[in-house]
Amino acid sequence: MQQGPYKILVVDDEVDLEPLFLQRMRRLIRSKRYTFVFAHNGLEALDKLSEDSDIDMVLSDINMPQMDGLTLLEQIPKIDPNMRAVIISAYGDMQNIRTAMNRGAFDFVTKPLDFKDLQITMERTLQHIEEWKDALSSRDRLVALENELDVASKMQQSILPTQFPEGLDYKVFGHMRSARNVGGDFFDVMRLANGKIGLAIADVSDKGVPAALFMMSCRTLLKGAAIGQGKPSDVVKTVNDLLVEDNEASMFVTLLYAEYDPESRRLTYSNGGHNFPFVIHADGSSAVLPSTNGIALGVVEDMEYQQNTITLSEGDTIVMYTDGVTEAVDSEGEEFGMDRLLSVFGGSSPTDPEKASEIIFKAVDAFAGDNPQFDDVTCLTLCIG
Amino acid sequence: MGFNIERQDQTVIVTVDGRLDGANAQQFQGYFTGALDENDRAVVLNFEHLSYISSAGLRVILIAAKTLRRRDAQLVVCSLSDPIREVFQISGFDQIIQVQSTQAEAIATLNA
Repeated sequence: MQQGPYKILVVDDEVDLEPLFLQRMRRLIRSKRYTFVFAHNGLEALDKLSEDSDIDMVLSDINMPQMDGLTLLEQIPKIDPNMRAVIISAYGDMQNIRTAMNRGAFDFVTKPLDFKDLQITMERTLQHIEEWKDALSSRDRLVALENELDVASKMQQSILPTQFPEGLDYKVFGHMRSARNVGGDFFDVMRLANGKIGLAIADVSDKGVPAALFMMSCRTLLKGAAIGQGKPSDVVKTVNDLLVEDNEASMFVTLLYAEYDPESRRLTYSNGGHNFPFVIHADGSSAVLPSTNGIALGVVEDMEYQQNTITLSEGDTIVMYTDGVTEAVDSEGEEFGMDRLLSVFGGSSPTDPEKASEIIFKAVDAFAGDNPQFDDVTCLTLCIG
Repeated sequence: MGFNIERQDQTVIVTVDGRLDGANAQQFQGYFTGALDENDRAVVLNFEHLSYISSAGLRVILIAAKTLRRRDAQLVVCSLSDPIREVFQISGFDQIIQVQSTQAEAIATLNA
């Protein structure tokens, strides 16, 4: 409970009530538990409430000239919706007590006043007010947190590319659908100086604002590294070295980074703990790309990453994805899984990357049904035409 | 999700039931940290009944591994189901955290 005195507004038209209060409550006034202000009718009470925002609670009689206590009860919330009032009523006047309670009185005491009982009622009211204030400040904090999450979510969406490079014989498309909470998936598509296209897909551990911030720095470091150097394995190593430094929170990110050279149709990729992409060939057959060992980024310093190169042919589609795809669950708790993903195109090869992405999202949605999406779902597709 | 902890000599065996994800990873971390003793030399995480682990779950395992390493204590993970083993393999965590097939094997490695 609050340390300083509680300020209580007493509203009553009987003039001898004021000295009586001060006399009977003198100990609690002296010990700085209460201080009292007095008003003699409802209008005066409203004026006092408007002037003095320190008033903690109202104690009011019902029958008064100019404005009675029941009308006062209706007016108080307009000045302070969090103000609590206790009504003083005639003994056994159930009619007025009921009206008062219906109008939001917190409690009532009866005349003649029993000051001991009054004090108990006041303490209970004040305790309720404290709890109410606590709840309000928690709510404010929650609203602030939600706003923050909203900012993080917008941050996350805003860094994703919406325009994709396109060549005579290749097309790229990427899409991320975030889960209810801000997640940590991202993808990026970069035009590199040597005519190559940099493709990245990543998933940051955990969710929320810290994950979003980690993701932002990861994405910036990746962009810098990708533009600066030629080898995907070196790019991944550089990002890892930078992320490991000063990673107190033990966050990590799984990242697959690939460079596609339209000239030679070669795709070189390096993997830091991410799901391996797969390829769908023109005849509809599919295969997961050969594995290169590599730990998620941000975990082990001085880690060397490997890379592998494959040559693509006309009609090939490369699908990069995050585990939100394979780990989507249906109502029985079963995961979407790799087998379903590999057969999602039904034995034919998609020729358009946007359509390919759409097919995957639709298949995941149909599988999950009404089951909520726990994780971000992201796909980055490359079609060779 | 549920946790259970038992001690065999100086080895702490922690079993986890159900999912370990963003919803309970912090709770697990608190439980784990609270259950450990300064003198504990070895921890076995038995994942036989773990049905799912997300990246947030992996992160608390990583934090646990780092904490134990600083104290010169060992961490072994055992009894992984196929999907969970796959998560460890893909993320590369099996390269930095020791994984054994059974609890008996895990304890044997610690005593070796």
